[in-house]
Amino acid sequence: MENRNDEFLKRLRATFRIEAEEHVRAISAGLIELEKTSGPERRAQIVETIFRETHSLKGAARSVSLNDIESICQPMESMFAAVKRQEIDLTRPMYDLFHQAADVITQLVAETGEESAPAFRSRSRDLARQLKEMSEGNAEVEMPRSTALRNPEFATHPSLPYPASPLSKERGPAAGESEPKHSLEELNPLPLIKQDLPKPGFLAETVRIPTAKLDPLLLQAEEMITVKTAATQRAKELQEINAEVASWKTESVGGRGTGVGGQGAEWNEFLAWNEGRLNAIQSRISAVARAAEQDRRVADRLVDEHLESMKSVLMLPVGSLVEVLPKLARDLARSQGKEVELTVQGTEIEIDKRILEELKDPLIHLVRNCVDHGIAKPEERKGEGKQSCGSIKITFTAKENRRMEILVSDDGSGVAVDKVRAAASKLGLLPSDAAKQLSPRDALQLIFRSGVSTSPIITDISGRGLGLAIVREKVEKLNGVVSVESAIDTGTTFRLVVPMTLATFRGVIVRAGECEFVVPAINIERVLRVRQDDIKTVENRETIRLDGSLLPLARLRDTLELPASKTRTGASGSPGPAESTHMPVIVLFSSEKRFAFLVDEVLQEQEVLVKGIGTQLKRVRNIAGATILGTGKVVPVLNVADLMKSAVLTAAGSRKETAAGQAPAGAGRILVAEDSITSRALLKNILETAGFRVTTAVDGADALAQVRSGEFDLVVSDVDMPRMNGFELTVKIRADKKLGEMPVVLVTALESREDRERGIDAGANAYIVKSSFDQSNLLEVVRRFL
Amino acid sequence: MNQDPIVLNQAAILKTRARALAQEPKKAAQAGTFLEIIEFCLASETYGIEAVFVREIHPLKDLTPLPGVPAFVLGITNVRGKILSVVDLKKFVNLPDKGLGELNKMIIIRNSRMEFGILADAVLGARSVSLDTIEPLPATVTGIGADYVKGVTGEHVIILDAQGILDDERIIVNEVVA
Repeated sequence: MENRNDEFLKRLRATFRIEAEEHVRAISAGLIELEKTSGPERRAQIVETIFRETHSLKGAARSVSLNDIESICQPMESMFAAVKRQEIDLTRPMYDLFHQAADVITQLVAETGEESAPAFRSRSRDLARQLKEMSEGNAEVEMPRSTALRNPEFATHPSLPYPASPLSKERGPAAGESEPKHSLEELNPLPLIKQDLPKPGFLAETVRIPTAKLDPLLLQAEEMITVKTAATQRAKELQEINAEVASWKTESVGGRGTGVGGQGAEWNEFLAWNEGRLNAIQSRISAVARAAEQDRRVADRLVDEHLESMKSVLMLPVGSLVEVLPKLARDLARSQGKEVELTVQGTEIEIDKRILEELKDPLIHLVRNCVDHGIAKPEERKGEGKQSCGSIKITFTAKENRRMEILVSDDGSGVAVDKVRAAASKLGLLPSDAAKQLSPRDALQLIFRSGVSTSPIITDISGRGLGLAIVREKVEKLNGVVSVESAIDTGTTFRLVVPMTLATFRGVIVRAGECEFVVPAINIERVLRVRQDDIKTVENRETIRLDGSLLPLARLRDTLELPASKTRTGASGSPGPAESTHMPVIVLFSSEKRFAFLVDEVLQEQEVLVKGIGTQLKRVRNIAGATILGTGKVVPVLNVADLMKSAVLTAAGSRKETAAGQAPAGAGRILVAEDSITSRALLKNILETAGFRVTTAVDGADALAQVRSGEFDLVVSDVDMPRMNGFELTVKIRADKKLGEMPVVLVTALESREDRERGIDAGANAYIVKSSFDQSNLLEVVRRFL
Repeated sequence: MNQDPIVLNQAAILKTRARALAQEPKKAAQAGTFLEIIEFCLASETYGIEAVFVREIHPLKDLTPLPGVPAFVLGITNVRGKILSVVDLKKFVNLPDKGLGELNKMIIIRNSRMEFGILADAVLGARSVSLDTIEPLPATVTGIGADYVKGVTGEHVIILDAQGILDDERIIVNEVVA
């Protein structure tokens, strides 16, 4: 415990140094300006600034137990308070003393945590005493600038308060324009002798740079990866050209040997000349190829090193993230009459600042969750034979592949799986019989779904079932995974695995149909090949058996709704999955589940830099972004969490479809009425993929006209449309003698119960709210009526 | 200041000449009544889009199609290391597809919060058209196509409303798996 406190104080002091530096700079600048300025208004402003800066510095110094600094600031503060009240006027000796104080503080700050030279200690004490006397004895005290100040040890080092760092020049004009050294020397009659200070001070070693300036720098460094991959590609291409030329040469020489002899001397001469040229070109190409390979290696190394050092600039220890958590846990517990101690391990692990920032909310939510749901009241805990003070442990561990594992565990009452099951089926996330079938471990993961809460009451802290959903969303956004394990009465452990660096990661490039995709390696459990007979259909779903457990299997092409590849087989020589005996499968995992995907080909693994896909594509399902390969080709990066959900949806939908064959002609002619082009396209796409024939209408009036003139089996309509809305359309259809029985499915953004009732009144057969609107839902409803 | 008589004389001559040659400017030459446009072909029609919103014209060489996007999004492409989406306006106005030929270009349009490429079969060039000659679309044209059009010029150039297209929420793809 003692050690940890020391550790903490040390870190705190490091922070203090940076803060103090700013305060001292502001004080010095203020003093200098104050001396020059005569306008009372501006003077009042400056005095106010100095007063506040001194006050803050005093407070900061006190919090890190630097009493020397505090005892200098204290009298300064009270003097400036007096100046503020216009009780005293500042005199030259006072200015001198203040400037000296600033210098002494600067050095004290620089020496923070170390033993000062005894002389310096007495000097600073002297100064504090002088200041105190001056503040108490009022302005008339004549400066005793003899004794202590003559000590060379403390003579103002010219470079100390205003180092020639680029930053101090950049900073506010107050510091820059007022020539601090000059005025100091002028004001201070003391000889500036001592040049060899014990150390140059911390100012030269630390430069504060706004992160806003650093972030683009890191991005640019990451962009350099493109250069690296391009260089690799070029070197490879040159290598290939080289090989081609070499084989050409061999063949042509061979051809000459066996050759069509007797063509005459001229022909031989021509061949020899050709050969000579070929030789020359070949040796040049191979030289260039070698050089390119070398360049590639150099570029590789330079870019890697550059990126590494850039990253290290923006890598921060996770400790900086969790410093607030013990207090948060304690305060939360207190407010609920509980006792909690939060301990953290592995705080020294450094990760990308951007990930750190994204982890803050999830950790706060998890700690809240532990306090609110996990840890019971002291009396109850005692009843269970536990210590009255609950414990929450956060452990950070660096894992292979630049991943970090975060365990947040409590020794509380655990999560009741049955409650989770009940809450999930109540929300309609899955039928209750399906919930019962889930293994306890799988069922437990349902608590990450939005709205699922085991808490019987909603408090302002938790109970709405949102916190853990946010945790999952945030973690998955980072390409991480989250899971939970819990044992009743023993406790709950949340496990988060996130990458330690953000934008670049290892990715596996796979082919599905005609398209290539990048799958983040962090989500890949393994890559394997399976035979057709390994795929077993269980409850109408394809599965494979892996290490004894049954894994759902989906075809990536179907999940992504790619068009069935046409004649790929013959052209590329690689047989399609249907014919080949062994098919490549990637096993992916995300927070909730594992899923196996059949792909057409696994191409390669490489470092990948993810980029956004443009402002117009805010979010595309199943796609997390895109990357640019060395060839300049753009390849989409898959969003694994989305993919899992889509796989479940398509497995529910289209598998059945294939089982029943394509929808028979004549059945399933659907009219989609929707004024939004996007929704229209989406609806059309979903329904067509499921095998229906779809015609679209831009509003209710258009739909009515089409439905009267054409042959349709069902109408899917938006509610809110210009000219004629969905309710009116439904009423009109019901009123039509010929169309009266036509099923109408209303799809809407309106969520109110009244609207649902209105839809039923109008005679609609189904009413799907867009927010709960997913493919399986729509398809299921549509199939019910056809 | 005294002027050289020869210079004065010259100036007088030039002035008379200028007067003789001067013509009435074509009506409405006041500032702001012209629209700078980039003209391009799409299927069989000629379109114009306001030049202020055009960042550049880029050859459309590689296009990566994306699964799960509406049909009007052709795919994404690499523009000097930045990835941009490409929109096919034909899908909004029910024009026939000509296919992606070698001559295909993308016109990158943007404002402060939106940027994407629109597909063009060929870019004809930049010119200015007088606002007076732009007439509203016939009332028979409706739907999203009509929303994106400012009007038609006398030469049947369809002037697109770049600001409207860029600001339209419907053009943004924002899809979550439920």
